[in-house]
Amino acid sequence: MIELVLQAIFSGILVGSVYALVALGLAIAFGTMRIINLAHGELVLLAAYTAYFVETNTGLNPYAAIPLALVLVGGLSAVLFLMINRIREHRELNSLILTFAVGIIITNAILLAFASDVRTTTSPLLQDAVSIGPLFAMNGEVVAFAVSLLLMGGLWWWLKGSWYGQAVRAVSSNRDAARLMGINPVRTEYVAFIAAGVLASVAGVALYTMSVVQPSIGHAFTVKAFIVTVLAGVGSIPGVFLGAILLGVTEALTVTLASSALQELAGMALFLLVLFFLPTGLFGARARRG
Amino acid sequence: MIRKSIVSLSLALAMAVGTAAASAEELLIGAHMPLTGSLARSGQTFTEGMQIAVRQFNERSDKYKFKVEVIDDESTPAKAVSAVEKLVNDGAVAVIGGYGSNIIGPASAASNNLGKVYITAGAVSDELTARGLKTFFRINNNAGYQRGVENLVAELKPSAVSIIASTREAPALLAKGLEQSLAEKGVKVTVHSFDPAITDFKPIINKVKLRDKADMIVMSAYENDYVGIIRAAKVLKPDVKLIVGVWSLATPKMYSEFPDLMNNVVGTSFVPFPVEVNDPEGKRFADLYREVYNKDIEYLATLSFVETTILLEAISRAAEAGTLDKGGLPDEMRKTDRQTLLGRVKFDETGDNPFFSLSMGQHRDGKIVLVSPQANANGSIVYPGLPW
Amino acid sequence: MSSHVPSVSRPSSWPSSIVFVGIALVLAALPLAAGAGNYFLGLLISALILAGISLAWALLGNLGGMVSFGHAAFFGVGSYASALLSAKLGLPVLLSVPLAGVIAVGASLLMIPALRLSGPYFALAILAYSQIFRILATELSWLTGGAAGFQAIPQLPTVLGLDLASRSGSYVLLVVVVALCALVYALVRRSLVGTALRAIADSEDATRVVGVNSMLLKAWMLALSAFITGVFGALNAHIIGFLEPDYAFSGVWSVLPIIAAIFGGYRTTFGPIGGAVIIYLFDQVVAKSIIAVGHQILLGFLLAAMILLAPNGLLGLAERFLKGRRDAEA
Repeated sequence: MIELVLQAIFSGILVGSVYALVALGLAIAFGTMRIINLAHGELVLLAAYTAYFVETNTGLNPYAAIPLALVLVGGLSAVLFLMINRIREHRELNSLILTFAVGIIITNAILLAFASDVRTTTSPLLQDAVSIGPLFAMNGEVVAFAVSLLLMGGLWWWLKGSWYGQAVRAVSSNRDAARLMGINPVRTEYVAFIAAGVLASVAGVALYTMSVVQPSIGHAFTVKAFIVTVLAGVGSIPGVFLGAILLGVTEALTVTLASSALQELAGMALFLLVLFFLPTGLFGARARRG
Repeated sequence: MIRKSIVSLSLALAMAVGTAAASAEELLIGAHMPLTGSLARSGQTFTEGMQIAVRQFNERSDKYKFKVEVIDDESTPAKAVSAVEKLVNDGAVAVIGGYGSNIIGPASAASNNLGKVYITAGAVSDELTARGLKTFFRINNNAGYQRGVENLVAELKPSAVSIIASTREAPALLAKGLEQSLAEKGVKVTVHSFDPAITDFKPIINKVKLRDKADMIVMSAYENDYVGIIRAAKVLKPDVKLIVGVWSLATPKMYSEFPDLMNNVVGTSFVPFPVEVNDPEGKRFADLYREVYNKDIEYLATLSFVETTILLEAISRAAEAGTLDKGGLPDEMRKTDRQTLLGRVKFDETGDNPFFSLSMGQHRDGKIVLVSPQANANGSIVYPGLPW
Repeated sequence: MSSHVPSVSRPSSWPSSIVFVGIALVLAALPLAAGAGNYFLGLLISALILAGISLAWALLGNLGGMVSFGHAAFFGVGSYASALLSAKLGLPVLLSVPLAGVIAVGASLLMIPALRLSGPYFALAILAYSQIFRILATELSWLTGGAAGFQAIPQLPTVLGLDLASRSGSYVLLVVVVALCALVYALVRRSLVGTALRAIADSEDATRVVGVNSMLLKAWMLALSAFITGVFGALNAHIIGFLEPDYAFSGVWSVLPIIAAIFGGYRTTFGPIGGAVIIYLFDQVVAKSIIAVGHQILLGFLLAAMILLAPNGLLGLAERFLKGRRDAEA
């Protein structure tokens, strides 16, 4: 029994670290602009397919696709921002529809370009098993975990240390005050969207190396990411990381202790409980009630 | 996309040439398939097998040439019903149905109302044949898949089996049937059903490893799940002797895409690979499929190849007898009795094919060896045999 | 060129409504008069079901100020409720359909805690509910038949000589039910309740001060929206004759109505209905004939263009156009 639970927690942490990568991009754009980018999951998916494209055409390790993914996904994210920024009326609602539409376009473009087959890495190196004491994982998962930690550290450092990073934080916490201090909120949001694109690129490549992808699964990433954002509360990177790990571990433990058919149910129930009973999320600072 | 257009172009050309040469009578059949959404893969493979069947039939036949119109039903019942109505409206003499009992149910009822024969290879629910529709036919059913796995279990006599099953309709149905029948035979069975959204199977495999202590894992699921499950098993290395799956697993395509995961894995199959020469129809199918789509035949393509071939033959017989416009096609379908790549096909009163029974094939270094039942086997099983 | 785009949220005056109603009725009668085939009527039936959910969604969005991403929850509950009541308890279909609406209201009561949440949080909380309901429908297989689905659903009956189960009968029924729902929506909007709700949408704090119980009103709107959605779910179940959890609680029922409402103009009564019909026919007839696989990409482009160029929807666009002409003439 104890072995089962330990392995479940371990698996949950590894999966959660990638949820965190996916969620951070959504959270940073949401934090600054107060809009949910419903195409975020599809951006992640596009990066995953970029990894597939590079791996099958060059035989290189999927992680070699990151530069190309950065260009593609980062660029698309920037274009998406420019479109959202044109919206003047009912920005919250209309941006939802706009990003949803872009999500549909990306999903179908992937379907047209790559067909609907199941794709995942074929690199034996990434697929091989690794054991740490009594715990088992795939190399790809451990690498993804490390990449996730690195990127989150980098993001944290960027938000704390750089001028733009501080601007992003300022706009996130109080847009008007930030403007008074001479920060251009629109340009800051632009930067935040590009940062979200960068995070999505890496997240997609990491996902491709440890899981399977199909054109239809993009929106599921968006929903997972939003759940994590809510668990975390707005404006906390360690919060997003811990929220994601919590979601991953909850899912894995549900499979172990109850039934695997209930995994999604557990995630959703956790989400609702936090929404209703912890108005600031687990680690956030701001309430979300109207 | 480009590849697709080339394919349809070449098909169109082939048909145009054929028509011009023989001035044959051209007939239209319709099909609705899930070409987008999570079942798009199944729908596209079905469509490919169907296109090849039409092409192969047109090569042989001088008198009747067939054209096929395919509509995307998006896995939505209402859209499938609309598709059937549009196809019949466009002059289709019969309809080939897509994937999933929830789609096939309403769509075949609509087709029945319009008096058109409806055939499918993608719906296994017993409720469908219990409706007493006169124009409904299917070549495969849950019982056949169940028999395939049961035969294997009876031959290998594992003491404990773990079934890992998706909660989607067809896999859940099969898992339920297997759980019951294996338990009756005294095998210890544990079922782990999982939500289709799940991607990390390690916690399930760990339960199989530490708690079930099973000899055999049976996967009742789809391709993406197979990949996830076998990967997780490869990491945790449970002490099982064999990994078994059902549809769309023992195919050359799975091996060429996931060579590290497939060796020694067993799945339902009908033909060994490379296809043996003693079956010219199958051989021609495999060659043509490779030529057009640049890949090896796979499970669903073969199913739809068979259903389409049977349908086209029945239509030409009815046309020959002059009963096609007079509602004679259902009777002509019931006269079908032939050996196919699937084995014998003959329809009973409900439109079901009681002879549907599958062999089990084992991936063996890029080849697929039929290992069960004994009568159809062309090699003996590697047991214990695992991908790692 | 007027510098100010008129607010579409104000109820339009009676004469223009009458014109709209007239146009709508003529349009609705047209397919029958023209003797449309089963195929086309089938498409319209699906579009009208979408229109009904779309209307319910817009009611919640416009009057309640709440955006929902999970109307599939009510749709699914309604469809299963009516199917089970009529098939297992033998209730007449015409009774089980409104009862299904009531049961959907019951489901909406579970969501009352979510009413305190703002904007996107409410939207995703409802989405979570719809996911939970879907999984419950899969797991409670003794009741729902589980993933294998539920098939023996009675058809719509024949009323006053009109076979509602036939294509034209279902079409007439849906036109009537959609029209009734539109009427209810318009009445609620014009009533005091509507005024109070619009005040809440403008400033919740201010209205609380003058003594309007916003939570209660919002709960009423959620319940009404759930009822309408549940009824359409029930009708759909009887028309299609087959249910399974993945279909009944599919995200499609949450997403397409939103698109339709926004596309048509969600602050108007007719916008969601027109939007649903246009979107559905565009996707199924036009887009599908251009790109067989992946035709939704065209829907995506259409939507994106719409949001960027005409964010108030088609009706908003029409109104702006009319207003512009009037300004030019004056």
